[in-house]
Amino acid sequence: MTRKLQLALAAGVSCFLGTIGAADAATTVKFWHTFSKSQGEALNKIIAGFEKVNPDIDVEAEFVGDYNDVVAKLQAAIPARRAPDAAILEVTRYGLFANNNILTDLTPYFDADPLKADLYDYAREVGVINGKNFIVPFNSSTPVVYFNKDIFKRAGLSDDTPLKTFADISAAAKTISDKLGSEGVSGIAAPGQFARWGVVMANDSELVDPSSGEILLDKPNTIEAYQWMASLVSKDKVASPDGVTDEDKGRDAFLAKKVGIMMNSTGNYGGSKKALGDDLAVRPMPCNKTCSVPIGGAGIGILASSPKDVQDAAYKFISYAASPEANATWFAATGYLPINKMSADQPVAKEALATQPGIDVAIKSLPVAHGRARTTVVTWMRSTEYKMWEAMALGQRDVAEAMTDFAQQTRDEEKRAGN
Amino acid sequence: MMTRIFTPYLLVAPLMIFIAVFTYIPIVMSLDLSFRQWNFLSPDMPFVGLRNYEQLIASSDFWNSLRVTALFTVLSVPLRLALAVFAASYLVRESAPSRILRGALFLPAVTSTVSIGVVFSWVFSTDYGMVNALLAHVGLAKVQWLQDPHLALWVLIFVNTWKQLGYDVVIYIAGLQAIPQDLYDAASIDGGKRLHVFRRVTFPLVMPTTYFLLVISVIEAFQVFTIVNVMTKGGPAGATDMLVNLLFEIGFVLFDIGRGSALAVLLFVLLVFLAFLKSRIIGRKVHYEA
Repeated sequence: MTRKLQLALAAGVSCFLGTIGAADAATTVKFWHTFSKSQGEALNKIIAGFEKVNPDIDVEAEFVGDYNDVVAKLQAAIPARRAPDAAILEVTRYGLFANNNILTDLTPYFDADPLKADLYDYAREVGVINGKNFIVPFNSSTPVVYFNKDIFKRAGLSDDTPLKTFADISAAAKTISDKLGSEGVSGIAAPGQFARWGVVMANDSELVDPSSGEILLDKPNTIEAYQWMASLVSKDKVASPDGVTDEDKGRDAFLAKKVGIMMNSTGNYGGSKKALGDDLAVRPMPCNKTCSVPIGGAGIGILASSPKDVQDAAYKFISYAASPEANATWFAATGYLPINKMSADQPVAKEALATQPGIDVAIKSLPVAHGRARTTVVTWMRSTEYKMWEAMALGQRDVAEAMTDFAQQTRDEEKRAGN
Repeated sequence: MMTRIFTPYLLVAPLMIFIAVFTYIPIVMSLDLSFRQWNFLSPDMPFVGLRNYEQLIASSDFWNSLRVTALFTVLSVPLRLALAVFAASYLVRESAPSRILRGALFLPAVTSTVSIGVVFSWVFSTDYGMVNALLAHVGLAKVQWLQDPHLALWVLIFVNTWKQLGYDVVIYIAGLQAIPQDLYDAASIDGGKRLHVFRRVTFPLVMPTTYFLLVISVIEAFQVFTIVNVMTKGGPAGATDMLVNLLFEIGFVLFDIGRGSALAVLLFVLLVFLAFLKSRIIGRKVHYEA
């Protein structure tokens, strides 16, 4: 063998051994999430920042769809032993996994983490079931009311038009539809499920009692709230039925400036600001009978099937994501609530608060924000609610009858799941 | 000698193993799961006997799905085959326009069903869709294509037919090209008109192709899922809730994999029964040679 060939071979073997060495040194954390477009970019920045200060940890983030998609994919991945190490889990859906011992109890990590003292009360509470902590919040939100100032102006409505009660919102939506309907503009987007929950709470009721787990779907105030929402589509015709069968269509139509008002998560602020610019205005949810909003969003949970060293690395990432710097970056880019009390003092957060009007509306709603039930039946309830809502909003079923039936079905399912 | 005996088995072994692993073993596992209660997450899978089947048969959702699936099949399959044989009879000639049209017709068959579903859900959107925009242009009122229970299924039939038609046309063209030309020459000499020739020559001799397409179209219709899940999710009011969509919902949304497996087994039995029925009723009437 020639000398050149010997040297080339030696160099190649050294490189190969070097890469193996490097691969062994990094702990890989497979992380499933639900963020795309601008939210995905913001997450990637946070991951890059984390990996910079933790060069021995490699976070492999994968966008898997929405909250329902994460649940569906975990169902397939867990028995196949292809589950990730960490996943974004919506705050009312993680109970199913926690109660089946799929998620690691994060209490020892969380209690030992100085970060815990810096989190808002709601952020400390939302990941707790039966005294144990299973997720740490990452993207927390409340629903807010967005409206398009240009559409309001064209419809003869001022920016100060009251939107504090159901009647106020109906009146504004009707005015928009009457004046601009011929241009293909509708008054309001059919509310998505998170917003529907907020509307029920604004009517001084709940779907499931967060403390006792009692099913409240057939309570008079809950039914009244659904009757109002359904009337927007089927009776007053100020909301497009497209947004009923596909919630994203309602949001997309608002972003395309075809809808005047939208009730949606504060997490949509970034995308809405990008689409509407200075025409975007944000208001708190209506206080029809009371001021009360649900806390939504999701947190990061660690799967118990992962090796201990990977779980440790995953928690380091979770803790970093909740740190003031990372959380402030996330807040400024997306509009999701800060979970760390010190985030608002960060320069990027200060700049966002100063230059992005409306981004603080959700923060101001925190005093009236409440966590929601996360019992095992809530996952089933939320999945079935879509079909019920569709039937009510499209005028195919009477609201009172449908909600009474829905309540009974949910109670039956709770018994069945408990058995 | 031994090599000669074992070689054929060794050559088919990889395929047989593949089929066993990805088809037969899952079927057996699904059958086993249909007698158990499991939510994917719990380590326990208690045996519950026929409870899953009893719950399914007692459920109105199951009978609704069966009705909707049967309706979809009965309406879409004859439509597809009729359109396909009609289009194939014009495209069977070898010419440049014919080849271009064949390619255009076949394009949807190789396009992602999810993409087709997303596009058509916007095309048929009530307030933002192209179809209603065209209707408004000619002074007609908007139609709630995907929100009206009486119309939503027809929209799915249209989309599914549009997607599958090209494949059926290509198969029919192959069948038509196998018919000897001298039969058409003889019919022409005897003064046969176009429709008469089609009824007496083309249709009987293309029966093997029709039978084949009938079998696979019915199987495909009973297994439609993607366009339902993307466009309507089984709504409105269960009007498009087909069997596989219900299976997905029970198994993957409601976490009842036992009941979902029971539905899969029932679907399998139903399809086998239908294939047997078709073979007995139609299979005997198929002409296999001119």
